[in-house]
Amino acid sequence: MTDVKTTTEPLLSIRDLRTYFHMGSVTARSVDGVSFDVGAGETVGIVGESGCGKSVTALSILRLIQPPGRIEPGSVIAFEGKDLVTLGDEEIRNVRGNRISMIFQEPMSALNPVFTVGDQVAEVARIHAGVSRKEAWNRAVEALSLTGIPAPGDRAKQYPHQLSGGMRQRVLIAMALMMKPALVIADEPTTALDVTIQAQILDLLVGLQKQFGTSILMITHDLGVIAETTSRVIVMYAGEIVEQAAVDELFAKPHHPYTEGLMFAMPHIGRDQERLNVIPGTVPAPTAWPVGCRFRERCPYSWDLCEREHPPLYQIGAGHISRCHLAIEPERRNHPHPPLVVQEGAAA
Amino acid sequence: MLTPIRGFAALSGAARVALAVLAAIAIVAAFAPLVAPYDPAAQPDIVGAKNLPPSAQHPFGTDPYSRDVLSRVIYGARLSLAIGFLATMVSLTLGVAYGAVAGYAGGFVDALMMRILDALLAIPRLLLLIAILAAWTRLSVGALVLFLGLTGWFGLSRIVRGQVLALTEAEFITSARALGASRRRILARHLLPNLISPIAVAATLGVAHVIVLEVGLSYLGIGVAQPEASWGNIIHDGSDQVATLWWMSLFPGLLMVLTVMMLNIVGESLRDAYDRR
Repeated sequence: MTDVKTTTEPLLSIRDLRTYFHMGSVTARSVDGVSFDVGAGETVGIVGESGCGKSVTALSILRLIQPPGRIEPGSVIAFEGKDLVTLGDEEIRNVRGNRISMIFQEPMSALNPVFTVGDQVAEVARIHAGVSRKEAWNRAVEALSLTGIPAPGDRAKQYPHQLSGGMRQRVLIAMALMMKPALVIADEPTTALDVTIQAQILDLLVGLQKQFGTSILMITHDLGVIAETTSRVIVMYAGEIVEQAAVDELFAKPHHPYTEGLMFAMPHIGRDQERLNVIPGTVPAPTAWPVGCRFRERCPYSWDLCEREHPPLYQIGAGHISRCHLAIEPERRNHPHPPLVVQEGAAA
Repeated sequence: MLTPIRGFAALSGAARVALAVLAAIAIVAAFAPLVAPYDPAAQPDIVGAKNLPPSAQHPFGTDPYSRDVLSRVIYGARLSLAIGFLATMVSLTLGVAYGAVAGYAGGFVDALMMRILDALLAIPRLLLLIAILAAWTRLSVGALVLFLGLTGWFGLSRIVRGQVLALTEAEFITSARALGASRRRILARHLLPNLISPIAVAATLGVAHVIVLEVGLSYLGIGVAQPEASWGNIIHDGSDQVATLWWMSLFPGLLMVLTVMMLNIVGESLRDAYDRR
């Protein structure tokens, strides 16, 4: 199969997205110059640890950032021929839940506790399709049955607290897919669920995606979810993209030391180990990103160049980019050293 | 969180009894003309029948104008309950509107509205009411309700603002925004319905508070004016001879305590039911 993505216009195209939080005298640069595309029908994963900017990226796409947060001028989020960043209030509301919808992490708190779930699914049709109450309810029951909820007509009359976590997540998926959107952003959709339910929900998402041709932006910290559902992966660290590659390529040949660390931190069946590997240190504060490479202090390969120069995104292979100076001095990978945070810790 | 209907179903046993007692008082008050043995304003024999202690004929005795105290207490229940209920409606409307606007607007508007509220809260309610009411020699019951309501919403609006602030952070509000709901829809469909529980609690306790206030003001002679009967002004009528006319303060006083106690039991049980979720 030839690469179709190069010939067709991507569905979503983000260029130099910067979302900053202005808190008095300090500015947290939570998302700091992120650019990527999502093609029609494609599933793209964004992976990274807490505070790397992945959720803020997701909220920025739907302009759900609240003050003191702000999408900085110059950022572009092109979607279906429009720039979402500069869209008027009413126009962006027509995109939300209609062309782009979102699935949240906590299915309990993402549902209004005082209305039945059927009411809440129906509300989406009321907002965007302008249909009657009765028609909206019928569509809601239909959407609920699509997500595999047994006896959807009865379930629709129940309140969120009467449903299990997995059922609630199916309700959220029904709400998200109600208007058959072009893009679904799933922010940690399975994190709050039991492991057995996680697999069911992921299967459901993938199945519905195939059925409707929806694109999915899967945001997670779980590499297992990435491997199972996505075709392309974006690794974020400290507000920027540090690596992007096709999913097989990334798992086979991770280039960035951070990605490598993430892979190494995963538990493996068969690997005999008592403790999980960790990446030493923590993410620097978003109010004061280091000048050079933001991963330098935690990196086992860093050298003086990493302190001086913020690495650009180097082209590693076809569709594979990495924000690491190792691209120009690959032989340094053979000589790891204890990361700076560990050395400082030992000295202190 | 529960809707009010399910909230009442979740009330404790004590609260159900309290609710029944309140219902009984309300029914007696509503049908006062049928229940009361005498006309509450009638002065049949101002010389011979005045200041009579409780007897079979006058179970609660008579007052210095020879009026039947039981009848006056029954009619008084009518007025005291109505004033408590209506004044609370006024403060609910104001408090919810003010608190919801402040909480939802946020930023400078919120800060300004809250400082104004701080200033209002610093004024003692009873003193404020005395100052206002003393300016009139004879005040209509409607005006009394209005003033009680106008001075009763400060605390409630704070509760509402806090709830709105907490709710706007709730993920289902973000979720509603992500689905394309407008600000108006979010306020009407997602914020206000979730405020019903704390409002129901505040309202129940608010009615009790206003009843006590009305009795206090009428006792001071600036509440409900004669010949209208309220629990407060019955006590007022006997206040210069409390030691001898003990029945004039005991019976309306007991009824007030009973009503307020029952309201508090219901209010607290409601709060527990809502907190339990």
